[in-house]
Amino acid sequence: MPLTKVKHSLPVFNPFARLGRARYSTVAPLATTILAAVLIEFIVNSILHSPEAVGIPAIFVFIALIVYFSFRDGIKGGLITTGITVGYYLYIIYSRDYSGEQLRGSLETTVLLGSLYAGISVVIGWLKQTLDRVIVQEIEARELAEQGRIRLESILDQLPVGVILADAKTNSMQANRYLEKILQQKLIPEIPDDISKTRNTTTRNGKVLKPNEWPITQALREGKRVFAQEIEVIKPEGKRLFLRVNATPIRNGTRKIVAAVSTVYDITTEKEHEQRKNDFINMASHELKTPITSMKLYLELLERRVQKSQDIKTIEALKKIQRQTDRLQELINDLLDVSRIQTGKLRFQKESFDLCEGVEETIEVVGQLAKNHRILFKKKASINVYADRFRIYQVLTNLLTNAIKYSPPESKIIIKVTKEDKKAVVSVQDFGIGIDQDQLKKVFDRLYQVTDSKEKTFPGLGMGLYISKEIIRRHHGKIWVESQKGKGSTFNFTLPLSSS
Amino acid sequence: MKKILVVDDDEGIVDSLEEILEEEGYQVDSTVRGEEALPKVLTFRPDLVVLDVLISGTDGRDVCRQLKQTPNTKDIPVVMISARTDTRPSALKAGAADFISKPFDVDDLLRSIQKRLD
Repeated sequence: MPLTKVKHSLPVFNPFARLGRARYSTVAPLATTILAAVLIEFIVNSILHSPEAVGIPAIFVFIALIVYFSFRDGIKGGLITTGITVGYYLYIIYSRDYSGEQLRGSLETTVLLGSLYAGISVVIGWLKQTLDRVIVQEIEARELAEQGRIRLESILDQLPVGVILADAKTNSMQANRYLEKILQQKLIPEIPDDISKTRNTTTRNGKVLKPNEWPITQALREGKRVFAQEIEVIKPEGKRLFLRVNATPIRNGTRKIVAAVSTVYDITTEKEHEQRKNDFINMASHELKTPITSMKLYLELLERRVQKSQDIKTIEALKKIQRQTDRLQELINDLLDVSRIQTGKLRFQKESFDLCEGVEETIEVVGQLAKNHRILFKKKASINVYADRFRIYQVLTNLLTNAIKYSPPESKIIIKVTKEDKKAVVSVQDFGIGIDQDQLKKVFDRLYQVTDSKEKTFPGLGMGLYISKEIIRRHHGKIWVESQKGKGSTFNFTLPLSSS
Repeated sequence: MKKILVVDDDEGIVDSLEEILEEEGYQVDSTVRGEEALPKVLTFRPDLVVLDVLISGTDGRDVCRQLKQTPNTKDIPVVMISARTDTRPSALKAGAADFISKPFDVDDLLRSIQKRLD
């Protein structure tokens, strides 16, 4: 930034203002002092006829001039005036033909006065120069700050994300252009203290937020850091906006919160797409269930007929169709569960039941699919948990089916149920292909599937573990896996014990 | 011979269910139209009704409620079936004796029917 021209200085009356700045800083003191000296000379000679009479007033006139010029132009201006004044005094002494004692006295006075004038010039000029410097610095600092502000503002306005800046001292907010575009309105600068003073209704998970509960105010007033919070803004005309908001407090050197900044992403379209997708999956799944229902009924009918004829091959074929129909049904149920999880509609009906019994029943059902796997489970005393029986069976089925699917026939599968401080722990261990360390965390992700060494995938849509994770998580339990590639995997989960 | 009325808007389900139930030794009548359910109950006088929850045109739960409010039909057990498992609570609230989600195993349905008719 080019330094500001020193036009900012103390305001001083300037009789030569129109002469142009550069020249008159030396011209003005010269001209004015000569004018003053000539004027004094004129008064003394033509009116008063008494040089002594103007001695003292003349000193004041000169001091006033020196003060003025040293204040206006600094030390230089004062010294020029001093020089002219001393010159004038010497001219007087010369022109009056002083001699002897008188000459010495006059010269001494001149030296004395000259030193006084020079002293005044230096002191006042220095004061003035220092003052000017301070003022210039202050102004430059202000300009720098202003430029910084303008720069920041234009950067913020260019960002493709909404930004709110809130100030603690003024209790006010400022929005960038993008946020105004999202909201299609200007932000009211003052942070409202009450819900009745807000224009839009802000909700989170269907609950209306008071201004105090907004992410930006949470950051500003309570120092909370808000990350990826999803809120909904309902405008007076009924339009809904879905926003993903972050907010963070800004602290000064003493850790005091002075401001807060919030970033706002408009995820309305995203949400609408997701909603439409979920609606579609939901509808399609239900529509698919109807033909499966009648397929299963007709299969039952056929089987009953064929059973009487003892046609073994046809019976086998029908059994296979039946198994495939069941698989289709499971896939549809999984799809529905995934869509329920994503719309937050997965509901549980909890009851107290014996987890060991659940494991036994699951083995009985799933074990039929196993090809010679040896499923080992030693039932001990009953371990009661408080959970949704059907959903926990679903998790057990998923884990056991996976163990069978990913391990060779005739290998062992070990299931254990134990009690560990107020929790029930279930583990399902197989000796199959195992999971790579870098895949371990991802197996619980939606639609993730483990591949083997030849990158071969296994049948299925990869929804089982994702659903299981959500079920266990919503039961306040934990689910995790330990595995070694090529040696097998152990899936574990915990559930809170039933209090009764 | 016990009599069962099947009400579902899907013809495939109605036809196959009718056949199976007849094989099981029940006398069966059916309809694919919700609004015909009540008149059929009054003329056919079934011992049990298998009723779909979401029938096009009518809501099975309304039909169930009406049956339960009519003095000479209120004791007929109603087994409701639906592809939407989330309708279970409202179906039971409407007075259904049982709720079975589609697609179901025939044995599950038969067991439920037998239990209500014993």
